[in-house]
Amino acid sequence: MAVRVQFENNNEVGVFSKLTNSYCLVAIGGSENFYSVFEAELSETIPVVHVSIAGCRIIGRMTVGNKNGLLVPSSTTDTELQHIRNSLPDAVKVQRVEERLSALGNVIACNDYVALVHPDLDRDTEEILADTLDVEVFRQTVAGNVLVGSYAALSNRGGLVHPKTTIQDQDELSSLLQVPLVAGTVNRGSDVIAAGMVVNDWCAFCGLDTTSTEISVIESVFKLNDAKPTAITSTMRASLIDSMS
Amino acid sequence: MASKSENVRARIVKAYELDEIEKLIKDAKVAHVMLTEAPPLVDEASVLTRLSALTLRSSDGISCSCCGVGPFTTRAQQTAHYKHHWHTHNLKRKLFGRKPISLGEYTARQDESSNVSASDSEADDNPDAAATELFALATRHCKAFYSNPKGQVFCIYRCLLHHRKEEMSHDGEGHFWARRLKELLSPGFGRWAVLMVSGGHFAGCIFTGGSDAIHKTLHSYTTRRGQGMAQATRDQSGNAPKSAGASLRRYNQEQFLAHVQNILVSWNDDLKGCSLVFYRAVGTINQAALFGKPSPLRKEDPRVRQLPFPTRRPSFKEVKRVFQTLASIEVYESLQDFQKGLLALNGGKIPSKTNSDTNVKKSQKQPAKTFDRAKSRERAPRELPTQVTSSEDEGPCYIDSETPAGWIKTLSEQSSNGIITNSRKDLLNDCVITSCVDSESEKEVVEKKEEPRRKKKVNKKPDDKAVPVKKGPPKIPANVKNMWRSIMDKDSTSLDTIIEAFEGDIQAACNTQDPIDGNTALHKAAIAAKPEMVTQILSAGGDPCIKNHDLQTPYAATPHADTRVAFRMFQAQHPDKYNYSKSQIPGPVTPEQLEQEKERKAQQKKAKRQREKERQVDKMKGNAFLLLSDDQKRKVPEQEQRCFLCGSQLPKVPFEYDGCKFCQIPCLHSHRKIRPLNKSVE
Repeated sequence: MAVRVQFENNNEVGVFSKLTNSYCLVAIGGSENFYSVFEAELSETIPVVHVSIAGCRIIGRMTVGNKNGLLVPSSTTDTELQHIRNSLPDAVKVQRVEERLSALGNVIACNDYVALVHPDLDRDTEEILADTLDVEVFRQTVAGNVLVGSYAALSNRGGLVHPKTTIQDQDELSSLLQVPLVAGTVNRGSDVIAAGMVVNDWCAFCGLDTTSTEISVIESVFKLNDAKPTAITSTMRASLIDSMS
Repeated sequence: MASKSENVRARIVKAYELDEIEKLIKDAKVAHVMLTEAPPLVDEASVLTRLSALTLRSSDGISCSCCGVGPFTTRAQQTAHYKHHWHTHNLKRKLFGRKPISLGEYTARQDESSNVSASDSEADDNPDAAATELFALATRHCKAFYSNPKGQVFCIYRCLLHHRKEEMSHDGEGHFWARRLKELLSPGFGRWAVLMVSGGHFAGCIFTGGSDAIHKTLHSYTTRRGQGMAQATRDQSGNAPKSAGASLRRYNQEQFLAHVQNILVSWNDDLKGCSLVFYRAVGTINQAALFGKPSPLRKEDPRVRQLPFPTRRPSFKEVKRVFQTLASIEVYESLQDFQKGLLALNGGKIPSKTNSDTNVKKSQKQPAKTFDRAKSRERAPRELPTQVTSSEDEGPCYIDSETPAGWIKTLSEQSSNGIITNSRKDLLNDCVITSCVDSESEKEVVEKKEEPRRKKKVNKKPDDKAVPVKKGPPKIPANVKNMWRSIMDKDSTSLDTIIEAFEGDIQAACNTQDPIDGNTALHKAAIAAKPEMVTQILSAGGDPCIKNHDLQTPYAATPHADTRVAFRMFQAQHPDKYNYSKSQIPGPVTPEQLEQEKERKAQQKKAKRQREKERQVDKMKGNAFLLLSDDQKRKVPEQEQRCFLCGSQLPKVPFEYDGCKFCQIPCLHSHRKIRPLNKSVE
């Protein structure tokens, strides 16, 4: 199910939230509307947590995480880190990293198995990333952009990338990630995919401006519509399992 | 164009010189940097077909397009490649628009410099770098660039070709640009209008084939000269001024608006015939003049375009310059010339480039001869006038005892008039101290000067004037000193004997101030906290209004409550003896009043203690109540029930849910929040 939501009249919901398969982080806003949309969808399955990073609300762009862990930038205060540790499930490793490119969400795109990172990311960070999130790390660009985290939204079932990504690049990336990829937009033509939406394996949230066409693309590429089984789902799953074993 | 041969200069062709243009634009093509890629198109059908067609080819021929490696046979091979430094290096090269290098080349370079990231800048990539810079410049430029088969490159203002907000078709081959260029030759295209409105100035002109057909300029006084900004803008920021000037400007603004619109209405037919209308109108007020109600122009009209460069104040001359600038097309004979010219221009190395710009220079020079009275001019540097006009004023000024007394007199007169600086004054004072013995006349001068200053500082009683204050250390009579001593003495409590036996003016003695701290006998008694003595000195004539050096009256100086009461009781007994208004005594008090006051205070204290006791009892009851469980609390008789959360007294109509009662809504809320947890535990 893809849900349209707005953060205080702002459509860039990916900036103010972080969604993974085992937890969801939501920025502390002036109103609880944003939070309650997430809670209504997710609270039965995963914890939805109010979080700030270095006192800022742009948590989606500052952090990166998957079901195994969460990386936060060095600017995160001790109390914030403690709050995150307390609120997230014990299985989730929370780690603070000293990285020059401190907007980790912008420079890293990941699902539970693979991460694409900015070509200039520090080697130490890469190692921490691989250990904490338990992912295979590749340095890549998306449509000539180094900010892979901004221009790609990935889940374990699919991925949406910058609209100008060539078919060849899409094929290459999808073979690297082992998930099908599609070029597309969110929020009525915005190419900053990850800023405009958050997604996990069963749920997606996108900005209120997102058109129905964009929604249907999102639902089909991330396979959120359970009522619409396709042949790919089974083949995909097989290959995924294949790659993990 | 006969200047500085080393810089590449462009030939200027005017847009209205049709023959030239025709030659120039024959088979012209837009520069490829001007073409943008097709906009992202996402339609559901194509995505779905792609989705259904997509199968993961983990090993059948996926290669790395960036490095040109592959196809990989195994997943391991693929991941190994993507993790290789060589791939990262090629990725970065691609980002900078360079070609990828092979593995062999990469390792060779690695050997040369062991650092991976240090190999970014290479000499062989210089032309590429220039190209990237050119691209960045071209895409942001206000001009469009074309080339023709003769190898000439020419640039033309984009606003001649298309409206700023127009959707440009991205056919990839520049047909759109070529078509628009051809329109320059279409009949009737050469009729343009240029309209400029700014700060109460209007200038408009309609040009046909390079010459002006109709023109009109207008000026009215609408901007505030001293403070800047238009009167209307000032009014919008709230608190509109009501001055005569302001209302004049407001009226002028209205007239100006109407006038400009009248002009535009009268030009209606001419404007309709124009192929392009250029305007400069910054802000709502100026835009209202051009696009307001009666005006035939509409902002949405595709012919109506903004000027793409900054302009000066609207005038006929400026309008003509703008037209010439817009119409000029720069022609470079070769691509190299163009690149150099463009880079130089944007690097700011060549200040002026076009023919029209040199025209501007001339026009700039001309008004220097005639003053523009409407504009504030730079102030000419003038020396400040000297304040003290004496011939001796040059050089440092020393005053010693040999300085003539008359000279000092003039100086001090000046100082009393306030035209002498402070440092001078200090100098004068010093001079007074050193030379006070010298001559009688000088002293008089000084005292004349000193008196007014002192009067302001210290409030003195007239009889105090008799007591010399500043004349060296003033003499204190022995009996006064004696009195002070006995006041300060710890053991003595009464001054009766001293006052009775006092010889001379007892009142003056009481009011004599100690030169050290300015305390009188009364001050001393008050500070020593001796109420009896205070009463005695007051009746002997000690003024309670004299202030010591800390500017305290005796009443204010005392730290002792009983002494203060003594002052107040004295005032009640002798209400007319002194002018108490300056003594800071809060008011007279009689012994009866004092008694009442005491009683009242005791009662207050008692009541307070009582309340405290009750509160404590209440708290204990509340705590006992809170210890009960919710069910037990409900069983407690209604009169004895308390707030279920905080244990305080319930209001008449308590807030209630589920039989639980609360004093306030927040209590209820918090209780409600705790409850479900308790329940789930049970």
